[in-house]
Amino acid sequence: MSEAKEIAISKQNVSSGGKNAIRTEKESEITKVLTFLIDEQVYGIEIPYIIEIIGVPKITRVPCFEIPDFIKGIINVRSKVVPVVNVRACFGKEEIEYDERACTIIVSHDNVSVGLIVDEVLDVLSVSEKHIAETPELNHVNNNKFIDYILEMNDGIKLVLDIQKLIFDHDVAY
Amino acid sequence: MAKVEPGMEAMLDTYLFESSTLLEQLDEILLRTEQAGSFTDEDINEIFRIMHTVKGSSAMMGFESLQKLAHKGEDMFFLIRENTNLPDTSFVYDLVFRMSDLFKAEIDLIQTEDDYVPTDFSNIIAELENGAAMLSGEAQAIENGTAPPVPGAGSQPAQPAKSFDKDCVTIRVIFEHGAEMENLRAFLLLNKIKEEADVLDCSPADVENNPETAAYIAEHGFRITFKAEDKENVFKTVENALNVESYEVVDNKTPEKEKAADSGVVEDSEHRVNAPQKKPAEKEPAAAAPPAAANAAAQHGGGSGKQSIISVNLVKLDQLHDIVGEIITTESMVISNPELDGLQLESFHKAARELRKLTDELQDTVMSIRMVPLSGPFQKMNRIVRDMKMKLGKDVDLVIEGETTEVDKSIVDNLNDPLMHLVRNCMDHGIEEHAEDRITRGKNTKGYIKLSAANASGEVIITVSDDGGGIDPEKVLDKAERNGMLTKPRNEYSEREAQNLITLPGFSTNEEVTEYSGRGVGMDVVKQNIEKCGGTVVVESKVGVGTSFIIKIPLTLAIIEGMEIEVGGTIFTIPISMIKQSFKVTSDQIIRDTQRGEMIMIRGVCYPIMRLHERFNIPSDVTNFEDGILLLVETENKSVCLFSDKLIGEQQVVVKPFPPYFGRYNIKAGGLSGCTIMGDGSIALIVDVANLIEN
Repeated sequence: MSEAKEIAISKQNVSSGGKNAIRTEKESEITKVLTFLIDEQVYGIEIPYIIEIIGVPKITRVPCFEIPDFIKGIINVRSKVVPVVNVRACFGKEEIEYDERACTIIVSHDNVSVGLIVDEVLDVLSVSEKHIAETPELNHVNNNKFIDYILEMNDGIKLVLDIQKLIFDHDVAY
Repeated sequence: MAKVEPGMEAMLDTYLFESSTLLEQLDEILLRTEQAGSFTDEDINEIFRIMHTVKGSSAMMGFESLQKLAHKGEDMFFLIRENTNLPDTSFVYDLVFRMSDLFKAEIDLIQTEDDYVPTDFSNIIAELENGAAMLSGEAQAIENGTAPPVPGAGSQPAQPAKSFDKDCVTIRVIFEHGAEMENLRAFLLLNKIKEEADVLDCSPADVENNPETAAYIAEHGFRITFKAEDKENVFKTVENALNVESYEVVDNKTPEKEKAADSGVVEDSEHRVNAPQKKPAEKEPAAAAPPAAANAAAQHGGGSGKQSIISVNLVKLDQLHDIVGEIITTESMVISNPELDGLQLESFHKAARELRKLTDELQDTVMSIRMVPLSGPFQKMNRIVRDMKMKLGKDVDLVIEGETTEVDKSIVDNLNDPLMHLVRNCMDHGIEEHAEDRITRGKNTKGYIKLSAANASGEVIITVSDDGGGIDPEKVLDKAERNGMLTKPRNEYSEREAQNLITLPGFSTNEEVTEYSGRGVGMDVVKQNIEKCGGTVVVESKVGVGTSFIIKIPLTLAIIEGMEIEVGGTIFTIPISMIKQSFKVTSDQIIRDTQRGEMIMIRGVCYPIMRLHERFNIPSDVTNFEDGILLLVETENKSVCLFSDKLIGEQQVVVKPFPPYFGRYNIKAGGLSGCTIMGDGSIALIVDVANLIEN
């Protein structure tokens, strides 16, 4: 996988013209991003937020009418009780059954750990500044508010999520 | 002599450990403040708390000398706290450090010596008294606007002018050859003499702080000038002092000449005696303590630790606990791995059983490490009440309830001091001074203090209550006003708010400082310690009726005996203490009211039925009463029957709070107080019965 990625990056370097042309080839990597699939769209989360990736364990629903539907309940991650969020539901997309490719990405921010259920985990990408595209200001796609920035890779667009907003800004989720 | 009274041995280790930890803390603070050059209020309060606790627990263990010592130290800081901005507190450090060293030495002694004999601390106590007197003198001086007393008086006792009249005697003491540390010995001797006579002068003067004087003393002896009515008695003291080879009475008028005449030709030679040739074996048990203490104090830190209790960082215990949970989960993953299906694995299963046994044991042990019943701290109170009863002359009964309630170790650690202070408060301030007062108020002449603990709706509730005089809010407000503690106009304080003012640091309505209370530290310790474990203290009091201190501590890590039930695939745990009974019913026993409500009649009482699957909105196949089971649960004022799919069983569970992520949703009001991880790794939700019924 990593070999393929390297090829992909070098291809990108060759093919990148226009605004990236003036940048040097040895652009330093600024971060790594884990990419995953939700409803055929590739999203990413910066690696430093990620604690671990596990399958979808047995989820215990917390029955409380105040809790929004996309918070599926709590799971036991190595003796810690962690809440889980179904990212599909959080994005207002139709929920599907968890298959064997579905994963829970445990992220942590400000000492709050949350599990994110995604359709499929793809890859870890090294990201340098040249890959980062401007985030369009006014986009009426309803999940735009969770997006930190957009990566333009030669194999497609990746939307890197803002964990802070994804975890905490539920009141504006829909 | 036994070290402690029978029955107290079990607490000896704890006492030793606690005291040494506290003294270490004290040293730390002292070092820090000495470097900083001033005491902050917080430091003084902290020092105070330490001294107070050490004093209290020493008294409890029956180590009277240590208790006295701590009491004097406390007096010292009391003065400092009352009179901040003292110009010179440097000598206080010397004194307090020495006191702390002696204390530690004594604790080492208690620990290592089988035949422990209490050390006589009268010398250091005298010095502390002196220091305190100096301090109050100094404080007085500042108040009067005059200059403080001559600087440099230091820890030496106040010395009147050297008037060598007839009553004065100067002696020269020669220590045994090779006794070592002659200066310290001289100092100890000096202090001994001080008990019996007024010491006017000594030479060399700075034996206490200057080790170099040792050589001089070894060579030339130690000169003491004192004034005493009964000289012979003093001579006897000198004779019997340790390591004293001989002493001689020298002529006051010609000290210089005498010094030169080292040959031993002296006047009053009949007074020259040889110190009794004590055999080492003889003096060991009787008088080993003072030099041992001095040595230990001098080479502080050389003691060997023999504690059977160690303090472990709770974080490590948490980690341990988590790992055990993981092991159990992983174990069941290995043993019931689907890949093993259909294989003939006789020895594997045997080994697996062995493993299960061991992991169970491991889990039990780890749980038991953290969980301690409250009986320990509760039983300690018996002793306190007993002692105080005698000293205060109040007749009081202590009633203990619910001491088997188990709480996390960290909670118990923080409960010891608060309970001690609360019980002391009840004894000292709460219960009326005179039995007549009780009679006029229509109460039993015998006072009543109740100590109770219970698990209730996700909290451990500990109540210390008395049937004494209660807290007069007006008195509290008066005192608070005088001390400038009010934060809003006096008339805006409600009775309850006023009574809760007593938990502020430095507050005490007792006019006189007694051995037990009155310095206003107690309630402060209580509040701080309780807040440390996330709890609250509330004072409820009625004048003339009594006072209750109600401590509520969240059950974050507490263990509860729970009944596991299943509702639509979700496991719930209901605290067993809430369940009155569980029973099967048939539909025809159900009484239906006009609003779809269901009830059941048990023994002539009608109870409403709450279907848990409806309450929690969980789809369940079990909706017929015949298929499920009813649980009669009861809170203080309400009883309800809960309908669930089935009972799974009884289990001890460790209560975990919901992740902070859920903080914004009011889960508690929804009837859940927390969750727990069960042996197989799945999560059960703990039902908050009170909230479930109320909302």
